[in-house]
Amino acid sequence: MPEVGATFLTAADIARRTAELGAEISRDYAGQEILLVGTLKGSVFFVADLARAITVPLEIDFLSLSSYTKEHKETGNKAIRFLKDLDQPVKDKNVIVVQDMIDSGLTLHYVYRSLNIRRPRTLEACVLFDRPQLRLVDLDVKYVGFEVPDDFFVGYGFDYRQLYRNLPYVAYLNSSPNEPELF
Amino acid sequence: MTDQPPIFSYFRGTKEPAFATRTEFEAAKLFDYHRIAWEYEPRTFILERDDKGNIQEAFTPDFYLPDLELFVEVTEMKQSLVTAKNRKVRKLREKYPEVRIKLLYRKDFVRLARKYGL
Repeated sequence: MPEVGATFLTAADIARRTAELGAEISRDYAGQEILLVGTLKGSVFFVADLARAITVPLEIDFLSLSSYTKEHKETGNKAIRFLKDLDQPVKDKNVIVVQDMIDSGLTLHYVYRSLNIRRPRTLEACVLFDRPQLRLVDLDVKYVGFEVPDDFFVGYGFDYRQLYRNLPYVAYLNSSPNEPELF
Repeated sequence: MTDQPPIFSYFRGTKEPAFATRTEFEAAKLFDYHRIAWEYEPRTFILERDDKGNIQEAFTPDFYLPDLELFVEVTEMKQSLVTAKNRKVRKLREKYPEVRIKLLYRKDFVRLARKYGL
């Protein structure tokens, strides 16, 4: 079983950057309201902290996106989709999609396309981690927490087989002899 | 390829794609999973001609994503291949500055494919 390794970002590092992002968003949307849309499950802690760092009125909602499953394989129906949609309309709202990580941009691109047809007033994204070196889709991500390398991280929402999301900091995950490949 | 070919819903070419490498196959699955329309090797770019106009060097990127107006070339792990492709991509950008192309490495696609369980 891989083990939690050295700390990549402390809780204080994350809190500091989240406060900066919250202040930036509050300035940009002064006098307006926001709908924060978190993508489950990785973004839950970031959404909670970011929301409390924003000073303008806001609503919170969550999306859940599919991952490839046995069910998909058997039916041949293999494409990304919402497992949980938003509970409210986004029309004429200032929507900020909050994700734990952007790499290829393909997932966020799908979310953007899906939400854009519902005609929000504005649609932006806020990501905790960015891996621009893996980007395929040129998306304008307005709010970025940290640019990070290709390492495997756990904690603060990031998981390994659903474990370690609850760590209050972000750490490297060390591979084990039994599982040399983490990704 | 030894894999049972999946049902590609977002392939937009006319001729059945004949993937040359496992990486290309993984890339196609990744695009399809994300509902991104893709074409396989739809265009060849001439990079070099001799004095008589004969083609000396050409380059056919692996994929074209029409909705993103983006060509994608994927590479294998071997450093010699990576170097050669880097050179071709650089040359293509010089000759055809209006063309958008991205070079992605096998490890990146493997990583993304595993992330999505493809």
